[in-house]
Amino acid sequence: MLAALQPRWQRWLARRIPAASSVTLNQRRIFIVPSASGGAFALVLLLMLLAAINYQNSLAYGLTFLLMSLFIIAILHTYRNLSGLTLRAVAATPVFVGEQGRFRLRLESGGREHQAIALGWSKADLQVLDVPAAGVSDAELNLPALARGWLRPGRLRVESRFPLGILLAWSWVDLDQSVLVYPRPVAADLPLLTAGADDSEEQGSRALGQGSDDFQGLRSYQPGDSKKRLHWKAYSRGQGLLVKDFAALAGRDICLDFDTMSGDVETRLSHLCHWVLQLSAAQQAFALHLPDQQLPLASGAAQREACLRALALFGRSP
Amino acid sequence: MSGAHLPPAIPRISLTWLLVAQALVIVPHLGHLPLWVIGLWLGCAGWRVQIFRMRVGYPTRLAKAGLMLAAAAGVLASRGSLVGLDAGVVLLIAAFVLKLVELRSQRDALVLILLGFFCVVTAYLFDDSLLAAAYSLLPVSALLAALIGLQQSRLAMRPWPTLRLALGLLAQALPLMLLLFVFFPRLGPLWALPNPNQALSGLSDSMAPADIAELSKSDELVFTATFNGSAPLRPQLYWRALTLERFDGRRWSQAPQSNQPGATQWQPSGQFWDYSVIAQASGRNWLFALDVAGSEEGGVQVRRDFSVQARQPLDQPLHYRLRSWPAVLRDADRPISELADSLQLPAAGDPRSRAWARELRARHPQPDALVQALLEHFNREPYHYTLKPPPVGVDSIDEFVFRTRRGFCAHYAGAMTFVLRAAGIPARVVAGYQGGELNPRGNFYTVRQFDAHAWVEYWQAGQGWTSVDPTFAVAPERIEQGLEQALSGEQSFLADSPLSPLRYRQVAWLNQLRLRWDDLNHAWQRRVLGYQGAQQLQLLQHWFGRMDGQLLGTALVGGGGLLLGLLALFLFKPWRRERDPLLRQFRRFERMLARHGVPRQAAEGPRAYAERAARQLPAQAAAIRVFAQAFEAQQYGAATLDAQALARHLAELRRGLPWRVRLIAG
Repeated sequence: MLAALQPRWQRWLARRIPAASSVTLNQRRIFIVPSASGGAFALVLLLMLLAAINYQNSLAYGLTFLLMSLFIIAILHTYRNLSGLTLRAVAATPVFVGEQGRFRLRLESGGREHQAIALGWSKADLQVLDVPAAGVSDAELNLPALARGWLRPGRLRVESRFPLGILLAWSWVDLDQSVLVYPRPVAADLPLLTAGADDSEEQGSRALGQGSDDFQGLRSYQPGDSKKRLHWKAYSRGQGLLVKDFAALAGRDICLDFDTMSGDVETRLSHLCHWVLQLSAAQQAFALHLPDQQLPLASGAAQREACLRALALFGRSP
Repeated sequence: MSGAHLPPAIPRISLTWLLVAQALVIVPHLGHLPLWVIGLWLGCAGWRVQIFRMRVGYPTRLAKAGLMLAAAAGVLASRGSLVGLDAGVVLLIAAFVLKLVELRSQRDALVLILLGFFCVVTAYLFDDSLLAAAYSLLPVSALLAALIGLQQSRLAMRPWPTLRLALGLLAQALPLMLLLFVFFPRLGPLWALPNPNQALSGLSDSMAPADIAELSKSDELVFTATFNGSAPLRPQLYWRALTLERFDGRRWSQAPQSNQPGATQWQPSGQFWDYSVIAQASGRNWLFALDVAGSEEGGVQVRRDFSVQARQPLDQPLHYRLRSWPAVLRDADRPISELADSLQLPAAGDPRSRAWARELRARHPQPDALVQALLEHFNREPYHYTLKPPPVGVDSIDEFVFRTRRGFCAHYAGAMTFVLRAAGIPARVVAGYQGGELNPRGNFYTVRQFDAHAWVEYWQAGQGWTSVDPTFAVAPERIEQGLEQALSGEQSFLADSPLSPLRYRQVAWLNQLRLRWDDLNHAWQRRVLGYQGAQQLQLLQHWFGRMDGQLLGTALVGGGGLLLGLLALFLFKPWRRERDPLLRQFRRFERMLARHGVPRQAAEGPRAYAERAARQLPAQAAAIRVFAQAFEAQQYGAATLDAQALARHLAELRRGLPWRVRLIAG
């Protein structure tokens, strides 16, 4: 029953609080109900009212009414604590599968102080922070990246029970946040193709892989580097994680080709990802051929980002 | 956020406020709690503090069960029962105290806070005075501060801001509370509950002279009376409580049947007095009325002996209204055969008084003349009014009339009734109060225990009952001025209460202060404590001319909405938003562009908006950008505030825009 209502609720929510990179909470977006504590509070009020009626005691009536009024005005206070708060998504950096997607957001006060604001992707896991008057607070929310492509966390729950804890004001906002998740880099021996793969002369020299003697030097560890190539001695000397770097065939143009890889799609993408990182770290120019996309020969950070993006979104809608 | 699944712990500030609140909640209960509960409380508070300091652990499950059983056994031992209000309150406080020790999670703290609120309510059942009500604001504020302290915010980590917020919330809740108090419909009790047992003093249904002497030592409040319209003079204020018809030679007591509701013969006529009385809890049924009283109220009845009684014993103050006709005849046509009770005498004893009565009867065949002769006798012979009469022997009436001749109202009333009966005239002793102190500020009479009095009424055919006060013949100052003046020679007024403010009436400022305080308490009792069904009905009818469910509903919903609206205005201050001169100019800018087809979108920043507008209105692009840059520089930059400059830019922009032409975007 509840599950059947879920899509309808989501549609309604999408209409009422459309996705935007910045959302200011107002009366359209804030919902408010008594919390469980509020239920207990109401029950005690009822008992107090019964005592007042049965003992015809004006003071008991008075205290009951005072707490009842407090319950009612707490609605305004709890609402006020959320109202006027602006949530703004801050651009998130891409991650690899298996890492935590880190979503940063900024909470801006419209003037008032906002106390004990809880944020999170689900009701059970919330992070609490205060926003100073006319100031900002930054929050970072994590979500494990389980699959490559765009990681969209969905709606963010913002809630507050301040000041009395007997009422719960909340909103589900969609900050249109997403993090690009690259495939998990997996080391593998790979057939390398020069850019001109059809050149028959070059066919004998394609074999290149780990174990090559063309040791070129050390560089710092990048995610995706093979553990076999870690320079453990340097690590034990406290120089950090270094990787023995091997020169590819000097002067050759390398092409990473999806079709020459073995394994299923995800494995191939993981291997390609590994090589994109390797080659970029070595500042080697390379091309990437995917069935639906060809990235021409290039090197540098831009090439690395473009290739990783292409791998992440392979077969997915961009 | 791995701790999200553990119950949230209790912050230090909240714990501090809980300890403070608990002390404040328990203090008013100290008077009726057994000592061991106080010991238990101190022990538990100490234990909890040590837990917080990590010196000791939480109680084990076994220890908790043991403590609970011990507390229940303690209640059983000191109250003899586990049910009933007295035992219930002790049990509640014990639970409130024990809960403190096992206070671990926020949920426990909430339970403790809610128990605390309920304990405050039970304290009202024992004491609902003005002072108790004012005091109870302290524990309520502390409990609220503890509730706020449970929040995980910076504010809730500081004790004083937490308390200030709690007080602010209470102050904001006050108007709505008053509305509810006045308009919330008052119901009768849903089921009968016993009130707390209190030691009550006052008149009793049998009287030996010494009892009234005992009452004269007390300045405890018995009732207050407010007259609407004309008020009688002090010597006319004979407040009847009950009649005593049976005499056993020593004590006068109530005849069982006089207590019954029954036919009384009288017709209201002539002058009358309207008044309302608030009688304090006495544990008795009888009320206080001037002769001859009638009442329209359901809870009040007039009995056969013209006394007025409540249906239920007064275990809390009762507010009732009466009308009295002082000049009417009572039971004038009743056959004398029905008045046997008023002629009853012991079979033997007091022979001299009986002989004297026969002698008087022979000399004065008319009852009126006989009574007059008796009064003259008391006045002429050396009788004295004193609260310290010498002891009398077996024939108490004879000894008093012929030997000691010293006594107070009960002696004179008893002796006179005895002699009248011995002379064949139906007569009885009336017990009640005489006089009272007029509070000039509140214009009401305060009657205290030392105003207790006894007088006589006798019956004659065609005239009915006539009241007569032999004390007046002996000590007219007792009636005209009060007990203190009557006793001015012997220092016995309130001899046992050296601190009673009533002893210092001659100190003018102290007396003023006392009268003000009495007035305040009277108003409290009348307006607040007495505000139950009948009073609500009367007040609302007075205000609105009617009183029904529709009126109550309209007032509660309409008034509540109005108050909440005002509070919302106070909290949100919508005019503030426009008060920012920069923003006001920006709103004008926004409205101007919206009129020309470029409304600002939700969450669109000023710069993005201006850019979009500049693209859509290319002719005004420059003016739009100038305004937007000036606005940004002032809003976010270090530029000095100058709303005038913004207004000038805006005027420029408006001059450039076509006259009210709605541009079709596209």
